[in-house]
Amino acid sequence: MTKDPADSGSDKFPDEQEPQEVFEIEELRQLITGPERIRIDQIRERLDNPERRIHDLSQILPEAISLRTSQDEKIAKAIAPTVEKAIESSIKTNRKVLVDVLFPVMGPAIRKAVASTIHGMIQSFDKTLEHSLSLRGLKWRLEALRTKKPFGEIVLLHTLLYQVEQIFLIHRKSSLVIQHVTSKDIKTEDPDLVASMLSAIRDFVQDSFKLEKEECLDTLCMGTDRTIWIEQGEQALIAAVIRGNPPSDLRSTLRETLDTIHLGHGEALEAFDGDTTLFEAVRPDLEGCLQSRYKQKQKKDFPLFWVLLGTAVFLIAILSFFSIQGHRRWAKYLERLKDEPGIQVTSAEKRSGLYHVYGFRDPLASDPADLLIKDKLKPDDFVFNLESYTSTHPQVVLKRIDKILESPETVNLELKDGVLNISGSASHPWIAEMREALKTITWISKYDDRNLADQDENAFALLKGKIEQRFFLFEFRSAEMLAGQEPELRAFIEDLKNFFNLAKGLEKAVQIEIVGHADSLGTENANLVISQERAEKILSIILKENLDPQSFRTSGLGSRELFREERTNQDRELNRRVTIRVIG
Amino acid sequence: MNLKKKICMLGVYSVGKTSLVRSFVSSIFDDKYLSTVGVKIDKKLVEIEGQPIEFLLWDIAGEDEHFSVPSSYLRGASGYLLVMDGTRKDTFDRALDLQFRTEDAIGPIPFIVVLNKVDLADEWQIGPQELARLDKMNWTFIKTSAKTGAGVEEAFHKLGQKVLHP
Repeated sequence: MTKDPADSGSDKFPDEQEPQEVFEIEELRQLITGPERIRIDQIRERLDNPERRIHDLSQILPEAISLRTSQDEKIAKAIAPTVEKAIESSIKTNRKVLVDVLFPVMGPAIRKAVASTIHGMIQSFDKTLEHSLSLRGLKWRLEALRTKKPFGEIVLLHTLLYQVEQIFLIHRKSSLVIQHVTSKDIKTEDPDLVASMLSAIRDFVQDSFKLEKEECLDTLCMGTDRTIWIEQGEQALIAAVIRGNPPSDLRSTLRETLDTIHLGHGEALEAFDGDTTLFEAVRPDLEGCLQSRYKQKQKKDFPLFWVLLGTAVFLIAILSFFSIQGHRRWAKYLERLKDEPGIQVTSAEKRSGLYHVYGFRDPLASDPADLLIKDKLKPDDFVFNLESYTSTHPQVVLKRIDKILESPETVNLELKDGVLNISGSASHPWIAEMREALKTITWISKYDDRNLADQDENAFALLKGKIEQRFFLFEFRSAEMLAGQEPELRAFIEDLKNFFNLAKGLEKAVQIEIVGHADSLGTENANLVISQERAEKILSIILKENLDPQSFRTSGLGSRELFREERTNQDRELNRRVTIRVIG
Repeated sequence: MNLKKKICMLGVYSVGKTSLVRSFVSSIFDDKYLSTVGVKIDKKLVEIEGQPIEFLLWDIAGEDEHFSVPSSYLRGASGYLLVMDGTRKDTFDRALDLQFRTEDAIGPIPFIVVLNKVDLADEWQIGPQELARLDKMNWTFIKTSAKTGAGVEEAFHKLGQKVLHP
């Protein structure tokens, strides 16, 4: 029991006081100071007990620190060395604890600040190096010179085009796929196998090159346009399969996603035992990494653009001109075709670059292709779908009649108001056939061939006159012809032959009368005899040419029909003659 | 529940690890990975007590004088098959050594001893003495034949049970 210090304040020693008095005093003291003494005992006990003091201090310390911190910086300055030493000690002892604590919080902040400053520079540098020696690089370098832009900027301009095709969230320790998301229409192999093999290859590289834990494989290139970017966290890693050339801030996106997953599911990741259903919730985060960016056309303030534009406008103008001109020609041609005798156009259109014409055409109508050439149009651009028909157009009817009659060039045909006018001249047989043929032709109401001359009749008449003008002279008192008349006689015989042929063609029955004459010097009888002999003489010559004797007759007129009054011998010579008459 | 487990195939060179899994798994990789990267990964679906489990089988290249199993390949495994060749007694001792090193690297995890090539009964070399040693260590073992398929499914099933209830 603790000794009460109030005992030492008594005026008497206990053995000198009366017991009753001592008791009373003690009782009185208890009544007066009792509660305070108990309180003092309690305070003393708290002050003497370190554990109680710690407990009491813990109750007020946070508020006290908070209050003082709001007043001045003495608390911060006071505890700074201690905190520093504590951190230092923690790092020396087990840095993993501090890394685990700070990693999800500090990582994103540091990366964001650093990445935003240097990513552009690094990216530009990387791409510049990559493309500086290629053919495309040289082309872009020229573009950089022309546009006065940095080469790196030009390279980026042409290469910023990518798509994140797949995202794997892989448990780092077991290499198992926690979640896997893909872009649309991307075919993939079994993600578990791919992820495991990828992890094995990373382990293989890390082991082979004796890399530190933080120096792991973070990029794999496949061909020229596919890469795998890997971002590694404490418990899991993200692998992104990317097509194209992604910007460096994509890596930041991957990193931030990984940090977010660690922050929200850190404990679950650490305790991961292969059950992936617990991580369905992270799929939206991973899908957010399935980014894509497409190249956008850049506006170029470059003369070539204007040159090209001008050229294009010029070409369009030229093409428009030719198109309009072509259209006009086409319309004009159609009009001409519609007016063309024997052609009926029902429809026409331009399709697949070709002009199609539909309708009907009489075989005797003009060829539509010939009309194209007249209008300077190309036959290859036209397709004619014209059915055959019989036209009643006068011109076509005339052509058709002309073809049926096989008209000679000397004949002219004209159709007017349904009447066929035939003029010119033609042979007698053709005229006869023509008349027969026209009886069967219905496209005309009647025909008029009064102006059509019969060539054979004309020739017959002409030859008849020519024959009747012939005469042959004879010797005095003789039936011998005067010398020198043989050519004339020969011509006469030829005329006779033609005459008989014509007469036959014209179906005319003709006869030639050979009439002999004499001068007036002799007696009447003698002159009759000699004149008959002279006619017989000519007949005998004619019959030698195989002419039909039935077509001839002779007569001797003596000196009854003198050709000339006889005053001189020359007159008498002209009267000793044979003349020709055509009978029938 | 969608459950996946990493399972390793361990054993010295030419004990038949690859043959054991070849006919029982779905694979997209060529065996050449074994000689290049040192591992080939296949997938096998097993059902234990009504629970489907996807086994990601890490068929690690057999150890020889030039190659030892990298510990990084073992990391995160939920179990493993320790494969021995019943016709080669030396594979028994070397497998025991490999098991000790594996446990040293990644700690104690479920495993099954597979005595392969049981179809070659005439050439069998692992006798009662060796089996007694396994019993003494309380190791589960199964005789299998990659050629006939005997015991293979059972081996995976038993390992699955151990993995599910370690």
